[in-house]
Amino acid sequence: MAKVSKGSNGADGNAAGDNIRLAEVGQSLFVKAAGVGVVALGISAVLGAGEHDGWNRFSHSYLVAFVWVMTIGAGALWWITIQNIVNSHWSTVIRRVAELIASNAPILAVLALPIVVPLILGRSDMYLWSDVNRMLGHEELKHKIPYLNTKFFAIRFVFYFGFWTVLSYFFLNRSTGQDNESEKAAAKTVVTMRRVAGPAMIVFALTITFCAIDLIMSLDPRWFSTMFGVYYFASCVLAINSSLALTLMWLQSKGRLTSSVTVHHFHDLGKMVFAFTVFWAYVGFSQFMLLWYANIPEETLWFKERFANSWGTLSWVLLICHFVIPFFGLLSRWVKRNRKALAFWCCWQLVMIYLDMYWLVMPTLQKDGEPVREVPFQLIDLTCWIGVLALFIAALAYRAKGRELLAKNDPRLPKSLAFENI
Amino acid sequence: MSDDHKPSIKPGPAPVHGLLAEYDTPGQILHAAKHIRKAGFTKWDTYTPFAVHGIDDAMGIKMTKLPWFTLVAGVCGLLTAITLQWWTNAVDYPWIVSGKPFWSIPANVPIMFELTVLLSAITTLVGMLMLNNLPHPSHPLDQVRRFARVTDDKFFLMIEASDPKFDDVETRELLAETHPVAIEAVLEDRTTAEKLPTGLVYGLVIVAVASVVPFALAAKARYTKSDSPRIHLIQDMDSQPKYKAQRENSFFADNRATRPAIDGTVAVGDARDDDKFYKGKEGNTWARTFPSQIALTEATMDRGRQRFGIYCTPCHGQVGQGNGMVSMRADSLAQGTWVPPSNVTQANLREMPVGELFNNISYGVRNMPGYAPQIKTEDRWAIIMYVRALQRSQSGSVSDLPPDARASLK
Repeated sequence: MAKVSKGSNGADGNAAGDNIRLAEVGQSLFVKAAGVGVVALGISAVLGAGEHDGWNRFSHSYLVAFVWVMTIGAGALWWITIQNIVNSHWSTVIRRVAELIASNAPILAVLALPIVVPLILGRSDMYLWSDVNRMLGHEELKHKIPYLNTKFFAIRFVFYFGFWTVLSYFFLNRSTGQDNESEKAAAKTVVTMRRVAGPAMIVFALTITFCAIDLIMSLDPRWFSTMFGVYYFASCVLAINSSLALTLMWLQSKGRLTSSVTVHHFHDLGKMVFAFTVFWAYVGFSQFMLLWYANIPEETLWFKERFANSWGTLSWVLLICHFVIPFFGLLSRWVKRNRKALAFWCCWQLVMIYLDMYWLVMPTLQKDGEPVREVPFQLIDLTCWIGVLALFIAALAYRAKGRELLAKNDPRLPKSLAFENI
Repeated sequence: MSDDHKPSIKPGPAPVHGLLAEYDTPGQILHAAKHIRKAGFTKWDTYTPFAVHGIDDAMGIKMTKLPWFTLVAGVCGLLTAITLQWWTNAVDYPWIVSGKPFWSIPANVPIMFELTVLLSAITTLVGMLMLNNLPHPSHPLDQVRRFARVTDDKFFLMIEASDPKFDDVETRELLAETHPVAIEAVLEDRTTAEKLPTGLVYGLVIVAVASVVPFALAAKARYTKSDSPRIHLIQDMDSQPKYKAQRENSFFADNRATRPAIDGTVAVGDARDDDKFYKGKEGNTWARTFPSQIALTEATMDRGRQRFGIYCTPCHGQVGQGNGMVSMRADSLAQGTWVPPSNVTQANLREMPVGELFNNISYGVRNMPGYAPQIKTEDRWAIIMYVRALQRSQSGSVSDLPPDARASLK
């Protein structure tokens, strides 16, 4: 901190001292992560085939892992968009890493295929609505057919991930292009990115909302909640801020960005993790309270399933461990400025987001035609989680290894390097 | 320095409050602060036009206690909200809302959240003012002309004379080591010292007295009686220049606000001249058969079952045995005023003509209200058809079964 904040011309100090290329570290991470990912998903596939339930168990585990990793990917895109909209200075040293994570959008689309392809082909046992005949049998579902049908879903799926890909690559390309631009052109690039970010945010809000509705909420096609998109979005923001802090700590342990990213930046990331811990609880409770108060059967049924047996225990675990404990854990300034403490809470919250996704997805799992009444956690959940995350990291490492990890020519960089947090 | 510049106080020897040093840049004041801190002074402070990063470290200022105030206040707010709602909802005035328990936490959470935030925010503000000794109407530094530029572009450091290490000469030398632009002795303020402006004092007294008035009025209203109507601040359209049905209106000769229909006219849709269909009557006796408008079909039966489920089951129960949820609830309260609903399959109702059943549904019987306004005429007939089916289901015998089913019984 002292090293950087002293000089008013931080950019020079950084360019001289900081290593901002992953290079061989990225290559080795790519190889390792890809290996782990393929092996873990291979094991998951074997375990899934052993269930003899038409891949139903595998699909559920895989979906939990996928929507979990999507919180990070989609969250990253939100993160860079908001930083551009508000023209934030503090985050400039971190933004490139977030841009690289966000550019995993096409990888997310590929990772979604094991879920989406059977769905579009109408062969998904997980999504009842993929077969229109099953919808026709229910009066309340009949009216949802114009939205919940495979053709329209295919269009939406292409739009969500297409839009995220285009937007994330726009930011990444503009930002990396800026690295070699003249001072004047670099300042202009900042404005261009900001102009795009505003309207893009509106479209992003719609895509993340409907993507969450399509992939998670529609698992129970009877149920509906207009808060659901926001609920998922809360996890996205929490996930990306936690992931960014952990990624930066890892990069620094490898000797990258050591003097650019300081305790002050980690402090701000910690504040965001804290704030969105509260936001998650706020949104989650708002959704619950409205449904609880109105007490309409088709709305409360969803919660009733999740409050029964060990699902009820998991609901309490989420309330206590996803909100109450980390709330007090992250409350102190000291924690947010202490690397190990912050790393602990970031990992904690990422695990909690996984449990949250599990809680959203898994209760619709059926075994022998009956819904599972207890939390069915098994090895396959773990292997799917590791596999999807490892492939996500592999793709990220592959993209990151040849690129610079710092927006070194951004006119806001000196301020970001000298940033001090009280 | 003080020679060049006379503080505007009354003549006479005023004691020295402290020594003030002036600097041009944030760098200089940071350096000076470190120097003074090293010398071991405790009663001194820096004054800058903006928050200088690093000044806390340079001065050795410890982290503020304020967050603890906030935390404690937040917890108090939370507990207040819980206790308040528990006592008002579950103890003092138990009242069922939307069928929830008297004390239901989810409904209380918004208030818990709000009181937590409110108390923490107010405490943070008040605590900040207290820790900073604010409001502070007067300070010796206000008398120093050059100090006015602290809100503009100058940086100041003052060591107070009350510091145990303070010495007029040595301290001045120490300050000189930090290369200030100027050093000046600050004298105690004798003009306005520690006195609030008179206007402010009167203002505060008036506010304090006025703030008691609402409580006094509330207390008076609580313990006295009044014949005058209550103060109606928010009208909410309570009094409107209109007449309601059944009210008096001296404008008309018959003093009735409601005007009777003109002789020989019928309102649209009110021409109900089919007695059997609309009243269940054939001449002067109850109809024993369904009117011709009602098709005796499976569809009508389904409709009847559905309407029965909606309108009748709350009291009469799912199969009309008189054991609906409302009745069971009323029984469990054991208040002694409940007239239990009939079992619709009992003998006298099995014998009752459909026309009379229709009349009972339409206009009510005993404590059962009339359902004519809620259930359409055709639907009332459909319900009767379903009731007939229920009755039949309770009075069957073995001979009613088809022969093959009868065989399976043996």
